[in-house]
Amino acid sequence: MKEILFFLTTVCFVVLSCTKEKTDYEAEIDTVVPEYKEFKEAYAINSDGYKISIEALNGTFYTGYNEVRLEITDSQTNEKVNVSAVTFLPIRTNVDKRNVSCPHRYDLIDKPDDGYFSGYAVFTDRSDADGSWELYISFTIADQIHTAKQDISVHEQANKNMNMAMFEGKDDEQYFIALVSPQKPKVGENELVAGIYRFNKPNNPPSSDFPDASQFSYTEVSDYTLQLDPRMPEPSMGNHSSPNNKDLTQRSDGLYHGMVNYTMTGNWTLNFILLNQQGQILRGTLVPTDFTPGVEGVKSELHIDILF
Amino acid sequence: MKNISFSFLFLFLGIHVNAQHTHVQNDTTKRLEEVAITAIAKRKIETEMKMAVSVDEFLASSDHISFIKRGAYAWEPLLNNMSTERSTITIDGMHVFGACTDKMDPVTSYVESNNLSTIDITSGQGGNMHGATVAGSIDLKRKSTPFGLDKKWNGAYQTGFESNNKQFFNLGNLSYSGDKFVADGSISFRKAGNYYDGNNDEVNHSQYNKFNTAVGLAYKTSPLSSIRVDAIYDKAKDVGFPALPMDLWLSRAFITSASYKQLFEDGLLRAWDTKIYFNAIEHYMDDTKRPENLVHMDMPGWSTTYGLVSRANLRNGDCSSEIQLNVYNNLSIAEMTMYPQDRSKKTMFAYSWPWVTTRFAGISMNNSWDISAMSRLNFGGSLGWNYNHSKYVEFNWIFHPGTPQEKDRILPGLHASYQLHVNQFDFSIGTGYGHRAPSVSEGYGYYIYNSFDRYDYIGNPDLKNEVSYEANASAGFKSKKMGIEAKVNYFYIQNYIVGRILSLGSPMNYQSVGVKGYTSLNHARLFNTTLHANYDILQHLHWNGTLMYARATDDKDGNLPFIRPLSYQTSLYYMHRQFGIRASVNGDLTQEHYSPEYGEDLTPAYMVFNMSADYTFSFRNYKAVLQIGAENLFNEYYSTYADWGNIPRMGRNVFTSLKFNF
Ligand SMILES: [Cu+2]
Repeated sequence: MKEILFFLTTVCFVVLSCTKEKTDYEAEIDTVVPEYKEFKEAYAINSDGYKISIEALNGTFYTGYNEVRLEITDSQTNEKVNVSAVTFLPIRTNVDKRNVSCPHRYDLIDKPDDGYFSGYAVFTDRSDADGSWELYISFTIADQIHTAKQDISVHEQANKNMNMAMFEGKDDEQYFIALVSPQKPKVGENELVAGIYRFNKPNNPPSSDFPDASQFSYTEVSDYTLQLDPRMPEPSMGNHSSPNNKDLTQRSDGLYHGMVNYTMTGNWTLNFILLNQQGQILRGTLVPTDFTPGVEGVKSELHIDILF
Repeated sequence: MKNISFSFLFLFLGIHVNAQHTHVQNDTTKRLEEVAITAIAKRKIETEMKMAVSVDEFLASSDHISFIKRGAYAWEPLLNNMSTERSTITIDGMHVFGACTDKMDPVTSYVESNNLSTIDITSGQGGNMHGATVAGSIDLKRKSTPFGLDKKWNGAYQTGFESNNKQFFNLGNLSYSGDKFVADGSISFRKAGNYYDGNNDEVNHSQYNKFNTAVGLAYKTSPLSSIRVDAIYDKAKDVGFPALPMDLWLSRAFITSASYKQLFEDGLLRAWDTKIYFNAIEHYMDDTKRPENLVHMDMPGWSTTYGLVSRANLRNGDCSSEIQLNVYNNLSIAEMTMYPQDRSKKTMFAYSWPWVTTRFAGISMNNSWDISAMSRLNFGGSLGWNYNHSKYVEFNWIFHPGTPQEKDRILPGLHASYQLHVNQFDFSIGTGYGHRAPSVSEGYGYYIYNSFDRYDYIGNPDLKNEVSYEANASAGFKSKKMGIEAKVNYFYIQNYIVGRILSLGSPMNYQSVGVKGYTSLNHARLFNTTLHANYDILQHLHWNGTLMYARATDDKDGNLPFIRPLSYQTSLYYMHRQFGIRASVNGDLTQEHYSPEYGEDLTPAYMVFNMSADYTFSFRNYKAVLQIGAENLFNEYYSTYADWGNIPRMGRNVFTSLKFNF
C-alpha cells in the first residue's frame, strides 16, 4: 500500500510540475537595473577646522547626473555651523593639462530644514588615465571665505537609464541632456525626468586665480521642449513604439519632466528633438514611425539608449 | 408546483427546468444503479458517417456547432456562430480554460472520444446552468459506468487508419462494475502526419500527436450515495497549425475532480451532487520550425482552475427543478519573450496575460412545469458574480492608463420557453436575457497576435458586459416514416465585443500590421436557422437532410466574421442485416456576407461527397464492427468560410477502422 501511495504521489508531482518554468519577472528587472536611493558620504574634507561632508547616492560619483549634498560641520564639536555662499565646481584635468568642467550647480542651495546644501554635477567622463576630477568648494563663515579641494573618482554609470548625451546645437552652443529619473523603469508609464544644460562660452580670458568660475559656467536652459519618441531599436522589434508618451517640459525644479511608456522590458532608445523657446530645432531628427520588422530602428541624431 | 415556486422565489425570479435537460427518474432513485442522474437517451460519440471520430468531428455533426479551423487539430467550436468567449464549455460541469492566447487549445481538445459518453449542447440562455453565457453551453459528459451491471467487465478497443494524413489511432477503454465499486479507464493514442489538400499538395505543419488517458473510480457509500474521483491526463505534442505562424510544441492538461452524490427516495429533493475540481494546463508554442519567422519568440501559457459545482434536483408533482451552484477560480498566465539578434543579450519580455485571475460564483436554476400532457413551460435564470484581477496591471495601463486592477461584475440571466405537443406536431417558443463578462484576452490581453487579420490585440479592462436578448422558436412534425423540424433563433447583443483598429501604439509581433483594441459595438444581431428532415424511403433505406443558414451584422449593418453561409448536408443510409452503407453530400454556398474589416474574403461554394460501409460481426463473445469509407470522395479542393487564413481542407481521405466490444 505504501509503495502504491508513494508511486501515486510521485506520478502526481511529475504530472503537475510545469515543463517550463515561469519567468520571474520581478526578479529579472531587479538584476538588470541597480537602483540607489540612499545618500552616503562619498568624501570628507577637513579644512580650516571644518569638516565638509560630500554625499552622493550610494556614496559614489557616476558619469551622468549626480545629485550632491554638502554638509559643513565644526570638526571639533561636530556641530552645524552657520555657513553661507557655498560654491561647488568640478574640474577635470586632462592629460594634456587642459581643464574642463561639466554641467553643475555652482551656487549650492541651502536646505536648512534638511541640514545640507544641495547641488548636482553631470560628469561627462569617468576618472581614468586620460584625466581626473577635482572638486573646488568655497564657503563663507562669519564673513570669512574658506576654500577646499578634493580629488574625486568618477565611475562609469552602469545603469543605462541614467545615461546622458552631449552635443552641439544648431545655434553653435554646447548642450547636455542627462537622465535623472527613473533609475529603474518599469513596464507601463514612467515619469521621465532630465536635466538640459548649456555651456556658457566665456567672454573674458581666464583670470590668474585658478579656478576661474566664469570659465566653467553652465546654465539650466529654460522653457525649451524636449520632444520624445521612444522605440525599440532591435531588428526583431521592427521599430516598435508605445502610446501615450509626453514631451518633456520644464518644471519649477529646473528639470524637464515628461512621460514615457515602455510596453515591454528590453532595449529602448529615447529619440529626442530639442526645441528652444522659439520652437526652433537645436538638435534631433524625426524617426520613421513605420513598423519594419527585421530592420534595425533608425535613431534620431539626438537619442539616449536605455535598457531594463 | 406552488410550493416549489414559493420556496425558491427568494432565490430567483422564477423557476424552470430545461426540457431537453435532465429529469430525475423516480424508479431509479430506489437504487443507485446509474451514477449519472441524467436519464435522457445518450447520443453515442459517433457520427452518421463515421464510427471512429474525434471529438471535433463529433461536435461538427451538431446543427448548432461550426468550427474555426487552424489546422487538422483542436478546432475552435462556434456555438450559434459565436466564438468560444460567448459560450461556456465545461467537462461534467467543470470549468476548464485553455492556456493559449491564440486559441490553439479549446477545452474540447483536452478530451478524447473514448472517455466521453455524450456532449450536451444547449443553445442560448438555456445553457446558463454552468455559468453566464450568451451563445449557450457545451458540456462534455464523461463516461461513468453504473453500479452493479450484470456484466462486470466491459471494454472496447478501436483502431484505425486514415490514408490522407496517415493518421493511426488506437483507443481502448475498460470498465469494471461491481455492486460497491466501479472503475472506468481509457487510453488513446493518435498520430497523424501532414494532410494533403484536393490538389494533392501537402499542407505543411498539419501533423499532430495526441495521448489521452482517463480514470474514474466510484464507491458506493450507502444504497443511495456514492463518491467518485476522476482524472484526465492529456498530452499533445508537436502539433502543426498551418494557418498560424507558429506550431505547438507541447500542451498538457491534468483535469481532476472528486464528487459526492446523494439520492433521496422521497421528498422534494431527489438528488444532490457536489464536486470539487482542479485542473492545470500548460501550453508551449514553437515558432522555430517556420523559415518565414526571422525572429523567434517564446510564448508559454499556463491556466490553472479550481472550483466547486453543486447541483440539486427537485421534483414535486408536475414540476421539476435543478439548482446548480458554480464557483471557480482561474489564473491565466501567458508570456512573450523575444530574443535580440545577438542571443546572448538581454531578452525582451512582456506578459500577454499578465497573471489574470478570474473568480466566478453563481447560482443557476432550471425549472420545468408540465402544464398538461401536451404542453410544458420551462423557465429559470442565473445570477453570477465575476471578478477579475490583473497582477501586473502595468501592462494594461499602457493602453488604459489608470484602469483599476480589479473589476467586479454582476451577470444576470433569465430565460423561458413554452413547448406544445399536438398530435404529431411539436412547437416551441422561447426567449432569454443574459450578461457575460469579457474573456481574459478581451479584458486583459496584451499584444495577442491574430494571424487572421494580422493585428495585435489589446484587451480593455473597462469593457461593459455583453448583454444578450434572445428569441427562439421551433416547429416540427413527426410520423412513423418521416420527420421534419425547423428551428430559428435570434440574438440581439448589446455591447458586442470586437477588435477595432487603434490609432495608438505600434505592433509588436513580427508579422503584425497594426494594433487593434477590444471595444464594444453598440449592438450586433445574429440570426440562425436550421431545417432538418428525415424520411424512411424503404424499410432499410433512410434519408435525411439539413439546411443551415446564419446571418450576423454589426451596428452599422456590416457583416460579422465567421458566419455560416447557406450550408446543406444530406445523406442516405442503407442498412440490412450486418451491413450498412452510407453516402452523404455536404457543402456551403458562396459566402456572400463576408467581412473584409475582420480579414475575411469571399469564400466560394464547395460540395463534398462522402461514403462509408460497415460490417458487424461477432466471434466468440466479441462483437466487432469493421468500417471503411472515404471523405471528400472526389478530392475537391476547397476551404470554408471558417478556415483560418483560407487554408485548404483535406482532400480525399480513405478511412478504415475496427472496433471490438467485449
Ligand atoms: Cu498556442
